[in-house]
Amino acid sequence: MKIFPYALMLSGLLAWGPAASVAQSVSYDRILHSQSEPQSWLTYGGSYSSQQYSSLKQINRENISSLKVAWIYQPSKAVSNLEASPIVADGVMYITEPPSTVTALDLRTGLKLWSWSPVLPEHVVSIGLYATSRGVAILGDTVFIGTADSHLVALDAKNGAVRWDVHVADNAMGYAMTGPPLAIKDEVIIGSAGSEAAVRGFLDAYDAKTGKRLWRFWTTPRPGEPGAETWGVGASESAGATTWNNGSYDPELNLVYWGTGNPAPDFNDDERPGDNLYTCSVIALDADTGQLKWYFQFSPHEDHDWDSDEPAVLFNATIDGKPRKLLGFANRNGFYYVLDRATGKFIAGQPFVKETWAKGLDATGRPIPEPNQEPTLGAGTLVYPSITGGVDWTSPSYSPQTGLFYVSVHETGAYFIKGQGKIEPGPPKGIVGGGGIRALAGEQSYGAIRALEATTGKLRWQFKLMAPAWVPVLTTAGGLVFSGSDEGNFFALDASTGKPLWQFYMGHAARSNPISYEVDGKQYIFETAGNAYIAFTLP
Amino acid sequence: MLSAGHANSWRVSGGRIMTAIRCLWIAAFIILLCGLTPNRAAASGPTRQGAPAANPSSSDVDQGKQSFEARCSTCHGLDGGGAMGPNIQAIPMRLGAAVVAGVIKNGMSGGMPSFAGQLDDSQIQQVIAYLLTLTHKDSGTVTGDPAKGKEVYDGSGCATCHIISGQGSGAGPELTKVGQLRGPGYLKTTLLYPGSDLPQTRVFLESGGMLEYMFVHIITKDGHTFDGTRASEDSFRIVIQDVSGQFHSFQKSDLREFNKEPGKSVMPSFKGKLTDTQIDDLVAYLASLKGDQ
Repeated sequence: MKIFPYALMLSGLLAWGPAASVAQSVSYDRILHSQSEPQSWLTYGGSYSSQQYSSLKQINRENISSLKVAWIYQPSKAVSNLEASPIVADGVMYITEPPSTVTALDLRTGLKLWSWSPVLPEHVVSIGLYATSRGVAILGDTVFIGTADSHLVALDAKNGAVRWDVHVADNAMGYAMTGPPLAIKDEVIIGSAGSEAAVRGFLDAYDAKTGKRLWRFWTTPRPGEPGAETWGVGASESAGATTWNNGSYDPELNLVYWGTGNPAPDFNDDERPGDNLYTCSVIALDADTGQLKWYFQFSPHEDHDWDSDEPAVLFNATIDGKPRKLLGFANRNGFYYVLDRATGKFIAGQPFVKETWAKGLDATGRPIPEPNQEPTLGAGTLVYPSITGGVDWTSPSYSPQTGLFYVSVHETGAYFIKGQGKIEPGPPKGIVGGGGIRALAGEQSYGAIRALEATTGKLRWQFKLMAPAWVPVLTTAGGLVFSGSDEGNFFALDASTGKPLWQFYMGHAARSNPISYEVDGKQYIFETAGNAYIAFTLP
Repeated sequence: MLSAGHANSWRVSGGRIMTAIRCLWIAAFIILLCGLTPNRAAASGPTRQGAPAANPSSSDVDQGKQSFEARCSTCHGLDGGGAMGPNIQAIPMRLGAAVVAGVIKNGMSGGMPSFAGQLDDSQIQQVIAYLLTLTHKDSGTVTGDPAKGKEVYDGSGCATCHIISGQGSGAGPELTKVGQLRGPGYLKTTLLYPGSDLPQTRVFLESGGMLEYMFVHIITKDGHTFDGTRASEDSFRIVIQDVSGQFHSFQKSDLREFNKEPGKSVMPSFKGKLTDTQIDDLVAYLASLKGDQ
C-alpha cells in the first residue's frame, strides 16, 4: 500500500522535475551566446542582434498544422495592449502587464510565481502614447523594467523584490517609458518616449548592480553643440528624437544601436529648419562611454511623424564577395535600408511599401525629396505612407536560414495637415503635433507580411492581410514565419514561399513579439492577444 | 472547417440562434447599463443642465475641436476619421454621449488611454459635442404626414428588414430612434439612394480601423452564390448576412469569387416605386420616431 504512492511520486518527479536549475543566473556571457541555448529567450528580440529568430525546429512545415494551445495566462486585472516580449530563462517566463507590472510565470504550466507593481501617480502623463510596457531585460539574477512614469527599477528575479529604483526622467514633462531596457556587460540601457510632449530625447546607461547612471547621450543638441546647426539659426530648443523602443548590440564593435523618434512639433516645421539631428535616425554609441560613433538619419527634417524606433536588425552577409557586418532597417518612412554597422555607411536601400515623398535614395542613402509632399494647411497633402508608416515599431525578423528579412507592412496613405505648432515651456497641455492627418476613407489600406532579400530589400514574396497589422514577426529554423493580423489571427507561413500553413483565431490583435522556447524537450511558440498570454505547442 | 455542410455555408441552428439572441440581449443590456446609468445619475444632478454635448454652444464645439486636435487626433485623425487608431466619427451618435464620456475618461481595451486628469468632465462633453457635429444629420424639414407615412412603411415591406419598437425583423438597422439620429433630408436621400451614406461598421478592429458597411458577392469553389452584407471579416475568413438575416461563414481559400462592392446597399431604392408624396409621408413617419414609448 505504501509503495504505490511512492511510485507515483517518483514517476511524478521524473515527469515534473525542475525545468532548469533555479540557482542559475543569466550572465552576460549567456546572453552573448544566446544562439547556443535556443530553449531560452534572453532579450527582447531573442539576441543582441534583434533578429527575432529561433533556431528551434521541432515545430516545422510538416507538423505546424497540429499546433495547439498549451496554456493561457490572463492577469487578474484586465489589461490591454500587451506589447511585451517575454523573457524566458531557467524555467521562468518574465512578462509585463500594462502599464508597468512585472510578472514571473512558471514556464511549464503558466502559473504565476510572483508579481510586482510600482506605485504610479494617480494620473500618469502619457502624451502621444498609451501607457504600456514592451517587457523587461534580465541580467544575472535581476530583471529590469522601465515604468510608465519613467523610473528604471531592478527586481530580484526570484521574488520580485526591489533591488533599486531610479527616477530617470520627469513624467510631468511628458517623459514616459514604454520600451524594454537592454542589459549588456554590467549595465542597463534605456530610453524614453515623449516626442509628442516635445521632450528632449536621451539614451541612458545604468550600473546593473547599483542603479548609478554611467552615461547619458542626449539625442538632440543644445546651441553650440555638434548638430545644433541642423536646427536652424537661433533655434534654442531642439525637441524630440525619443528612444522609446529597444536597441541592439554588437559586442565585437562594442556599439549599441538605437532608433530615434520624430522632431517636435511633428507636422509644423516652421521653427526647426534643417535636418534636425539626431531625429529619425539610428545612432551607434560606444557601450562604455555613450559617445556617438556614427549616426544615419533616415528622414532628415522629418514632418510626417515617421519615427525610427523599430529595433535595428544586425546580421552578417557577403556582399560583392566580401563578408560584411550589416544592419537592416525597415523604416517607417517606407524605405528598407542596409548599412555597414561598423561605419554607418549606406550600402543599399529601396521602398518596401508605396511611397510618394521621395524620388529615391542618393548614393549616401539620403532621400531625394519629391516636391510638395509636406503637410499643408486646409485639406492637407496626400502622402504615402501614412502616419503609421510602412511599419512602425513592431519588430521585423531576419532568418539566417533563408537570408530574408521579414516585415509586417502597412500599405496606406493619409492627408497630412499642417496646423499651429509652437512649443510652450512648462508641462505639456496636450500633443505638440502642429497638425495632424486625415485617413483615407474606405478599405484602401491593407497589410502584408513581406519577405525582402536582406542585403538589397528586393521583394521575394508577400502574404496579404486585410488590414495593416501592428504585429511583430518571428522566424524559426523550422522554416516558418509567425506573425498576426489586426483582426486577431495568429498564423504561420512558409518562410521560403509565404504560403499560409496554420492559423489560430485569438479573438484580438497580437502586439507582442512572437517568441519561441523549449521546455521538457518540447518547442513552444508564444504570443499575446487582448488580455491573454498564449503558449502553443505540438500535441 | 467553418464552411461545413450544404453549399459551404454554415447555417445557424435553432439552439445557436437562441444563444446568439441571448448574447445580443446581454450585450444590449450592458450597453443600456453603460448608456443609461450615467444619464440617470446626471439627470438628478446639476451637471445635466447646460452639459455641452446635450446643448452645445458654438464656443463649446470650438473648444471641443481644439481639445480633440490636441489630445485625440494623433490616433483618430484631425477629423475623427482614423489615423494610428480607428475612425470614431459616428461613435458618439451611435453610442450616446454618456458611453463615450466613460470611454474618454476611463480608456478602453485596444490602446485607448484614460484621459482622466487631462480633460475634465465639461471638456469631455465639449469633445463629444464636436464629434457629434461630424455626423451627417441634415435636419431638413418635414413636409409629409407621419400617420400616412406609417401606412407606407407597413405596406412597403420595410419591416422585413427593420425593427421599430420591437416590431419587424432585424437584418437592417433598427429604426426605433432614427428620427432622433437623422434629419428628414438625410432620411429622404437614403430612401432614394440607399448607398449614398452607408454606415460605418459593425466590427471595431483594434487599431486597423473599422469594417465599413460592405456589400459582398461570393461564389464558392463548388459553385454556390451568396450575396449579403459583411458581418465580420479577418484575413482568412468572412461572415456575411443575407437579406433574410441568415449568417454564412466562409474560409476565403474556399471561394472561387469574392467581390466587395463598396457603396452598394442591400436596401432597394424607393425612387420611382413610391410617389413623391408617399416618400415625404414616409420621411415624416421616420422623423417622428424618437424612441418614445
